[in-house]
Amino acid sequence: MGLDIRIPLGMIFLAIGGIMALFGIFTQGDAELYQKSMGINLNLLWGAVMFAFGAVMFFIGRRQKWQDDPVNPRPWETPGKVKPRH
Amino acid sequence: MTLTYVDWLIVLVYFAFVLGIGFALKRYMRTSNDFFLAGRSIPAWVCGLAFISANLGAQEVIGMGASGAKYGILTSHFYWIGAIPAMCFVGIFMMPFYYGSKARSVPEFLRLRFDEKTRALNAFSFAFMTIFSSGISMYAMALLIQRLGLFHGIVPDVYVFHVSIVLSGLIVLGYIFLGGLTSAIYNEVLQFFLIVAGFLPLVWVGLRNVGGWSGIKHTLPATMTQSWHGMAHASTNTLGVEWIGLTMGLGFVLSFGYWCTDFLVVQRAMAADSELSARRVPLIAAIPKMFFPFLVILPGLIAVSIGSHTVTAPASSVAVPLDQQHPHGIIPQKMDPITAKPVVDANGVPVYDYDLAIPAMLLHFFPTGMLGLGLTALLASFMSGMAGNVTAFNTVWTYDIYQAYINKRATDSHYLWMGRMATVGGIVLSIGAAYLATSFNNIMDALQLIFAFVNAPLFATFLLGMFWKRTTGHGAFSGLILGTFGALLHHGLTIPAGYMAGIHGGWLHIVHTYPSDMAQNFWTAIFAFTINLLVTIGVSLLSEPRPEPELVGLVYSLTPRPVEGHLEWHQKPATLAIAVLGMLVILNLVFA
Repeated sequence: MGLDIRIPLGMIFLAIGGIMALFGIFTQGDAELYQKSMGINLNLLWGAVMFAFGAVMFFIGRRQKWQDDPVNPRPWETPGKVKPRH
Repeated sequence: MTLTYVDWLIVLVYFAFVLGIGFALKRYMRTSNDFFLAGRSIPAWVCGLAFISANLGAQEVIGMGASGAKYGILTSHFYWIGAIPAMCFVGIFMMPFYYGSKARSVPEFLRLRFDEKTRALNAFSFAFMTIFSSGISMYAMALLIQRLGLFHGIVPDVYVFHVSIVLSGLIVLGYIFLGGLTSAIYNEVLQFFLIVAGFLPLVWVGLRNVGGWSGIKHTLPATMTQSWHGMAHASTNTLGVEWIGLTMGLGFVLSFGYWCTDFLVVQRAMAADSELSARRVPLIAAIPKMFFPFLVILPGLIAVSIGSHTVTAPASSVAVPLDQQHPHGIIPQKMDPITAKPVVDANGVPVYDYDLAIPAMLLHFFPTGMLGLGLTALLASFMSGMAGNVTAFNTVWTYDIYQAYINKRATDSHYLWMGRMATVGGIVLSIGAAYLATSFNNIMDALQLIFAFVNAPLFATFLLGMFWKRTTGHGAFSGLILGTFGALLHHGLTIPAGYMAGIHGGWLHIVHTYPSDMAQNFWTAIFAFTINLLVTIGVSLLSEPRPEPELVGLVYSLTPRPVEGHLEWHQKPATLAIAVLGMLVILNLVFA
């Protein structure tokens, strides 16, 4: 299909990871909030991990240049091309 | 449950993306082929993740967490012997026929291999089953949202159930209506990663809390932490089933019947961009599938370990009965939805609501923010379970029911339109099924029962059809009918211990009592499979075989092997399958 899944996948992880990491920075040192997660600032830590994963996925997806492909003819319909490219 | 603006923001971001993908893909949906088969253009890894994600619905996440808390690590059998071998088999042996025959659905394959009546039988029973599954998924989600008080203060409490059902229906409808199977597959990939992202930290923090796996082993009885402990006899393990029933019933009949013939999962593999990719799809899916017990079953075990330091059952003990001796950790008591009082059993012992194991874990360990992600993961799993069924339904309806029997010669754009209408119809029927969903103790048991009736005899038909060229359409059809009838009869004549005759079985006459409902389900499946196998062979031998040239590409002995000469040894699907099975053996040895 014309849209590489890694682009929206990267974007959603950038967005959710970003929100969590930011919230984690603002709530850094809030012992009461992080009592549940045994003192670990899960928002900052896991948000950053998700953000990094999202960034990797997004850039790999962009590098494929799927979004530049014309809608018509679609990539897998182009004559002479046996294998679709990913 | 109180959510703050950050939690809601995360949930909203997820829903925005879910619908956004539908809108982004809308312009690519120009033929029915794009809509129902994703234009057969999806890379293997994407299909592979969708393959397991479509199966990772509410029943899976909530049910597996509940079973983990109830039965222990034995639940991982549902993943290990109950999925991986079948996934390897479908990838190596069956996919060349599904993909290579150019059939657009599993019922259509049955028409190519057998005849019209076999296809019709499968198409109608499958369509019914998808609606039922999707409805149960919806029902489970609405019930959970209601019990967690998610919309408390936003929607009046009496309407929460209805609002949840309609809202989830509309969202799934939105993205499938717009982007068809591609949209469903893409969203399933998102859902896969979100489920991992939401549950991994839960397991990590949870394990830290209870002192790691060794801490759990120290706290819980050995029957709960060793997957093969006491499997020699039904009375010495918590599932109440012995190893023959487990490996034959679950590991062979039910699991092969599901993973190898259920169009819901096979459709994901059929969307792959080449036959080689299609064969790799189930094998790629098997790798994360193998490790999913650590994400969905382990939280259940952690939930019952917290604060349960009193159980001192000796390692050689017999099954731990599910009474007050059974550790319940942070599992809340079951509440009566009408009287709002805790439920107690006949002896006045409180009943615990194991279905809340995973939600209770999320609430126990996740701070604001992370809780939003955990909740998103849970909602994502509900969505994927529903969407998988709806896409399978709209395809079978349009190609195998509408095109086959109602309107044979319409234009392609008409079938595309019909697919969209079938999506609407499927959602509406699912909502109906959700309201019909009855009160089973464990959602998993109810689904296993349906699979036993419809799917278990099915695998015998495919096995004979693909590997024995003598099998005929009459044989397949009568085998399927009598197999399902046999399953019904077996269910009507047996009953699990401790139940009254009725929905749990024994509604004809009780000739045998099984130690548990799980054992009854597995044996129902074994009976259905055996009856179908024998009847199909018998009737096939009596009826006229089809000429061999018609069966090329449909039967193993008449089909050229897939060309693999250009592949290096490590690129071949068989190598991947052997690696997957090797890992499976290691996992079983570690947790034996």
